[in-house]
Amino acid sequence: MSAEKHERHAFEPKIVAYVCNWCTYLGADLAGTNRLEYPPNVRLIRLPCTGRIDFNLIVKGFEIGADAVLVSGCHPGDCHYTAGNYHARRRWMLFRPLLETLGFDMRRIHFTWISAAEGRKFQQVITEITEATRALGPAGYLSLPNGGKAPAWTPPPPALKPEPSGEEQMRSAAAQLLSSGAVSVVIGYDSHGAPSFARRAEDAERLCFNQQCTANLAVYLKRKEIRALGRIGLVAAPAILRALNVLETESQIDREQIVEIPVGQSSGDPDFAALDSFLRLAPEERMAWWMAEFERCVRCYACRAVCPMCYCERCIAEKNRPQAISPSATLEGNFAWHIARAFHQAGRCVGCGECTRACPAGINLSLLNATLARAAMQQFHYRAGAERGAEPLIGRYSLNDKEDFIR
Amino acid sequence: MARIGVFVCWCGENIARTVDVAQVAEQAARIPGVRCSLHYKYMCSDPGQAMVREKIAGERLTGVVVASCSPHMHLKTFRRAAAAAGLNPYLVELANIREQCSWVHHDRAAATAKALDIIRMTVEKCKRNHALEPIRVPVTRRALVIGGGVAGIQAALDIADAGYEVVLVEKEPSIGGKMAGLSETFPTLDCSQCILTPRMVEAGQHPRIKLHTYSEVESVDGFVGNFTVTIRNKARYVDIDKCTGCGECWNVCPWKKIPSEFDYGTGFRRAIYIPFPQAVPARPVIDKNHCVKLLKGACGLCAKKCPRDAIRFDDTDRIVEERVGAIVVATGYSLYSIGKEQADPKYRGYGEYGYGAFKDVIDGLQFERLVSASGPTAGELKRPSDGKTPKSVVFISCVGSRDNAKGISYCSKICCMYIAKHTMLYRHKVHDGEAHVFYMDIRAGGKSYDEFVRRAIEQDGAKYHRGRVSKIVEQDGKLIVRGADTLSGTPLTIEADMVVLATAMRPAPGIESLAQKLNIGYDEHGFLLESHPKLRPVETNTAGVFICGAAHGPKDIPESVAQASAAASKVAVLFANQELSREPEIAYINEQTCAACYACYRACPYHAIEKVQLKHKRAARVNPGLCMGCGTCVAVCPSKSADIEGFTEQQIYSMVEALA
Repeated sequence: MSAEKHERHAFEPKIVAYVCNWCTYLGADLAGTNRLEYPPNVRLIRLPCTGRIDFNLIVKGFEIGADAVLVSGCHPGDCHYTAGNYHARRRWMLFRPLLETLGFDMRRIHFTWISAAEGRKFQQVITEITEATRALGPAGYLSLPNGGKAPAWTPPPPALKPEPSGEEQMRSAAAQLLSSGAVSVVIGYDSHGAPSFARRAEDAERLCFNQQCTANLAVYLKRKEIRALGRIGLVAAPAILRALNVLETESQIDREQIVEIPVGQSSGDPDFAALDSFLRLAPEERMAWWMAEFERCVRCYACRAVCPMCYCERCIAEKNRPQAISPSATLEGNFAWHIARAFHQAGRCVGCGECTRACPAGINLSLLNATLARAAMQQFHYRAGAERGAEPLIGRYSLNDKEDFIR
Repeated sequence: MARIGVFVCWCGENIARTVDVAQVAEQAARIPGVRCSLHYKYMCSDPGQAMVREKIAGERLTGVVVASCSPHMHLKTFRRAAAAAGLNPYLVELANIREQCSWVHHDRAAATAKALDIIRMTVEKCKRNHALEPIRVPVTRRALVIGGGVAGIQAALDIADAGYEVVLVEKEPSIGGKMAGLSETFPTLDCSQCILTPRMVEAGQHPRIKLHTYSEVESVDGFVGNFTVTIRNKARYVDIDKCTGCGECWNVCPWKKIPSEFDYGTGFRRAIYIPFPQAVPARPVIDKNHCVKLLKGACGLCAKKCPRDAIRFDDTDRIVEERVGAIVVATGYSLYSIGKEQADPKYRGYGEYGYGAFKDVIDGLQFERLVSASGPTAGELKRPSDGKTPKSVVFISCVGSRDNAKGISYCSKICCMYIAKHTMLYRHKVHDGEAHVFYMDIRAGGKSYDEFVRRAIEQDGAKYHRGRVSKIVEQDGKLIVRGADTLSGTPLTIEADMVVLATAMRPAPGIESLAQKLNIGYDEHGFLLESHPKLRPVETNTAGVFICGAAHGPKDIPESVAQASAAASKVAVLFANQELSREPEIAYINEQTCAACYACYRACPYHAIEKVQLKHKRAARVNPGLCMGCGTCVAVCPSKSADIEGFTEQQIYSMVEALA
């Protein structure tokens, strides 16, 4: 092949850039007014503010074949809408660890602050990203060169959970509440761990609390029919108590209408041993492993059904104008779904593990939840539901949020 | 069925030199939904715009994409052209193939391919544009001005003279602010009260200005054009409608030694007092922290003496509600407190200057009162310690200002000028006195300002030393000022009878809490944030709230007055129509699918989201009067019930997918 022909067939990276209208877009315009040249590989999509840029747009960029994605906006303090970029920054602080666990090549995802006055910086950033991406080669999202052979990784044995306790006290408390009429129903478990609704004092005897009682009963509290029953008694292991705090902050429950019947003991801080072990794999290995996991996903949405935090009546997975998440059980659709499910739990998942237990395909969703729980802990000293009345992580921001990953 | 018209501009040579515009137009015609596609040398020219209008009519276009310069340049131009042809202006989009394509690439093939991609993305977006109408919000054509200093008074007068009612709230018992306490002002040496008090009277008597003095803003609700403000009228214990201001009460009050706030502690007042003789309203107030009748039930002499029976010991605070359409914040400044102890740990004091310990070390405002004809010493400059006339006065500039070690990085702007003024006032009063100034730089940038400083030095004999002062010690009734003269490179010690410190200008205390009530921004020092430092200096990012004067940043009287008039003109623009017209590219929420998690409510930078109770559920709702269209709510919404016009989910996803 002649040198010219070779050049024409050489890889040209495709770069998608989501930029804010008031800073980076104007900075790009300024680069134009000053005739500062840069490679023609980037395609800009203008949005009013980085606050508008949802995490899914980054995933979408790779889905349509981008080799790198850039998100850029106003410097902190300069946001045209005062705080949109702070919200964006907070979101990315939590989203990046998720992408890392999934094995995304983080060298292909860039965040910058480029102001309207920084035409030169825009030129430099685009040039550097284009050349760096050219050197990396095509991203080939969800198509690994070695056919996606997953590494043989198994999680280490989980930490021992404390023995279930409090069954006797729970039964008598439930009986008491029902006989006095303080509640119209007690939601608890039967001997197999299946959810059980006790409506009369005698039924309280059948309520159990043993090793199989893991279902997150808070999931019933969002149902209209249950709420219509009036005051409810709830057998509440520590994870369920945490779930109540999160649901209360998000205006989903009326705490006055719920009488908690505490059972069990807290298993202490979340166990990150499995996550630590997984993160020792190289990114490509992680991605291959997840591809094998999500290949098995049949999109039954059991993970969503058992989770009390998934309470949206019209889930984003069911929205079809636009169809941000493909509903088909394809690899692409499954990745999009699980990324969204996991990220929507950022700062909200109470670690009950029900999604993982309920999954008929045995997908290790706990790894994703643990990723976000650890990010919340490390970056914000935050544990979902640990403190009643605590502000959520997403929807709030701090001027001190770390931005070492933002250029 | 979409019928999009694509118009590719050559922009003379600017685009056509690099992008093959004919090819691009030809290929754009094949994009699904494109009805017509043409190219022309200057789309923004009259014939170019005529072409767009013709095609809209002739091809019954449902949308227009002009591939040309940046939307920041000509989006409005083409929207107007479309509107003239009967097409809703929000069905027009611009594809930027100039600033972001032809001007930054040289490879013709690559640039042409990129231009086509950009046009394809924009066509996909445009197919999903909604026809929008500007949002009409009713406007209450009354204004609130917070702060009755010179800036607040100016703004109030301008707005009232324009024909609108103004509510003027002032926390002190009288309007006038800091300027009422000054002696003479630079660069004219006008008597401050002589030029201010006529304005104060005008404001007090203006038929359209309603004064709430000795009052503070409690809360602000609502949005531009429709604010509801609650104001606390603090208890005066005097019925100001019955009172005539005759002064019998304060003349008979036995509690005479209360440090006067108006005199910054250099003089005294009574427990029932009027802050200064020219106060507006000229009515006294009782200080409940010192009045023995209020504290213990004894005395009550003022009530016995009052010929109008106007004293009300049973008075209480009153809460009043006012409805206004615009708010002007003119809360002014305070001086940085120089002592070692600081209320805010961000700042550090100057223990080394002895302020607070040495009676004769004072600040600029205290000096003003001591030389003021209506001051505690009737204009005779007397040392606070022994009442003697100081024969040597040292003025120190930049105390706090420009000093990162003290937490204040900025220049306070007015001190160089008022120090020069102080030296002149001193020398005019004490002909054999020595005035020494320790300075770092001289900032005298206004009209006749530099000449004024030169006059102080050359005519009035002020001695200027370039250097800072390291320490002041007291010795035998004198203040030993140890400084440096950097121009000669020697230490310089001066024995002074009095030292005046030019302390940094800070915003008034409580500004942060007021700013939060108004939902406006402020910087790390508390100065209020303008919308744009050059192009919108008196607007804030909250529609309907304007700022002026020293609350925005250190500035002198001419600038405060100019900003006040500027803010008033913005209010007048707002009030020019019965209804306010706002850009409709704002957020909206699908209440049926909304899960009422209120993430949007928490995240919205403008508090523009309300919680609403529908028949069978709760939901979030965007207030179209407040939403500024950032889209933060859209990104945080887990169910994607929130969306934003002009940048909808469908539009953005269609643009990304067009790149596949």
